[in-house]
Amino acid sequence: MSTYIVRWNLQQRIEHFVTMVTFAALCLTGLPQKFYQAGWAQTVVSGLGGIDSVRWIHRGFGILLAISTVVHFANAIVVMLSKKIGFTMVPTKKDFEDAVQQLKYYLGMTDKHPQYDRYTYKEKFEYWGLVVGNVIMVLTGFILFFPIPFASLVPGEIIPAARVAHSNEGLMAFLVIAIWHIFNAHLNPDVFPFDTSIFTGKVSRERMVHEHPLELARLEGGMPPDVHGHGEHGHGGKRDVG
Amino acid sequence: MKRTVFPLLFALAAVPAYAGIPAEQEDCLGCHADPDQVFELPSGEKLSLFVEQEAFAASVHGQSLRCTECHTDKTSDHATGELKFKTRREVTVAYYEQCKGCHFANYTKTLDGVHFAVMAKGNDKAALCVDCHGAHDISRPGQPRTRTSKMCAGCHAAEAEVFAKSVHGRAVDTNADVPVCTDCHRAHDTTDPRDGALAARTPEICGRCHTDEKLMSKYGLSHRVVDTYLADFHGMAATLQKGEKRGPGVRLAAVCTDCHGVHDIQKSDDPNSMVMSANLQKTCAQCHEGASESFPKAWLSHYEPTPTKAPIVWAVQLFYKLMIPFMVGGLTLQIALHLWRVVVNR
Repeated sequence: MSTYIVRWNLQQRIEHFVTMVTFAALCLTGLPQKFYQAGWAQTVVSGLGGIDSVRWIHRGFGILLAISTVVHFANAIVVMLSKKIGFTMVPTKKDFEDAVQQLKYYLGMTDKHPQYDRYTYKEKFEYWGLVVGNVIMVLTGFILFFPIPFASLVPGEIIPAARVAHSNEGLMAFLVIAIWHIFNAHLNPDVFPFDTSIFTGKVSRERMVHEHPLELARLEGGMPPDVHGHGEHGHGGKRDVG
Repeated sequence: MKRTVFPLLFALAAVPAYAGIPAEQEDCLGCHADPDQVFELPSGEKLSLFVEQEAFAASVHGQSLRCTECHTDKTSDHATGELKFKTRREVTVAYYEQCKGCHFANYTKTLDGVHFAVMAKGNDKAALCVDCHGAHDISRPGQPRTRTSKMCAGCHAAEAEVFAKSVHGRAVDTNADVPVCTDCHRAHDTTDPRDGALAARTPEICGRCHTDEKLMSKYGLSHRVVDTYLADFHGMAATLQKGEKRGPGVRLAAVCTDCHGVHDIQKSDDPNSMVMSANLQKTCAQCHEGASESFPKAWLSHYEPTPTKAPIVWAVQLFYKLMIPFMVGGLTLQIALHLWRVVVNR
């Protein structure tokens, strides 16, 4: 029998699922518009019923992404104000130190692996990348959706600039997810072939020891979050979930 | 021997070219040389039976064809005073199929053309071979070049009049660079312009001349107009709409002719040009209802973004040109280092 820690609550799992589905749908309907001269792009577009229907699907999922982004922010603000959770996603000095130490470790310059709290610098990077990307995509997406009203508010040149930004930011997001996220969630030897935690919410205690020792210490020892980087492994108060 | 051949050759050279043409080997011209000879058709139309021998001799067939090679049904006793035709058009239609005996490839092309389609629907006014090429006076195609447009104008007078005032039409008599009707519409498989298929091909059609760097530099024009069009909204949508037909509920993306006009294309600085900056708002509003004064600025006027033309677009483009390789390269490198350490640890 293994011991599990609940790492993701139901709301977080739903948010990930919605983001995953909308992201995939937006890539499927967006990338063929960027690479419209390629044969595969034209196959996808005609398979989805032509460019007009592809555009409407893209806009529909775009609106869903915009809503989910707003809901996420609103929820985060409410939760943080009610002090139920700390600012665990905010990058700190320790994240930069962790990143340097992690790279040193990879290069063989040290055998000391950084000790992570709830979120590693990699997770924070991906989270903030997604947040900034979402804001850019939603803003430029709406400019492209409603070019006429926007052109009467801002200089006309903003519209082709929004197109260039939307198209490139979208490609970059796709590449980051295809390379970085797929590696971390699937191909990374620690989780290969599939890190199921974001769907089940559960992470084994062994993995927590390995990947998030500081968080585990806080959970089990009831220590305050300000012991960043210097926490000791507590005992007792184990949360058996699985 | 030599003494007799040379004077004979000189004598041959001195007589008009039509002397001794194959058509004379038959007796047809004996009767059909009278300019006043007409046959009154039941419709009341007068069918001239006159064949102008000089014109035929000078035609492309003059030196090779005999009369009965086209008029295959005519025998020496056909002058009975009766004709099976009621109208002049029936005569033309009846002889339409004669050309295909030799010109099969071009005849086959006409089967895909709009004139054939219209004719098949019962409109006997649609153009047949002889309507464009002439009958007894057929010249080499496109000689002179302006003859093509004049032939089309016979039926399409309104379009011809508009074209004559356009930037292309004004130069057509003196300049072989500008297109005549068939350069865009094609000669035998003339495309029906009404369903949008011809319009959809305009980036390629116009591009044949307008992407030719040498030709365009002669007139101080950009040869990158098709590339810049394809790189923008309209070109993307139009590329993905390939094969779609104009119809109710289908809005096709703008192609060259939607902004520049069709037969009435003018220079972009001409006050009457649809793409003249003062007229652009109206041109955009044809599709983009409610387009404001600044809306046309959303279109980069076929310019590629540079620090002087469209600096914002240029800057955004440059940012991603640097950012994407940096991001992808950095992440890939970290993955590679990670995996390397995993291997080392073993």
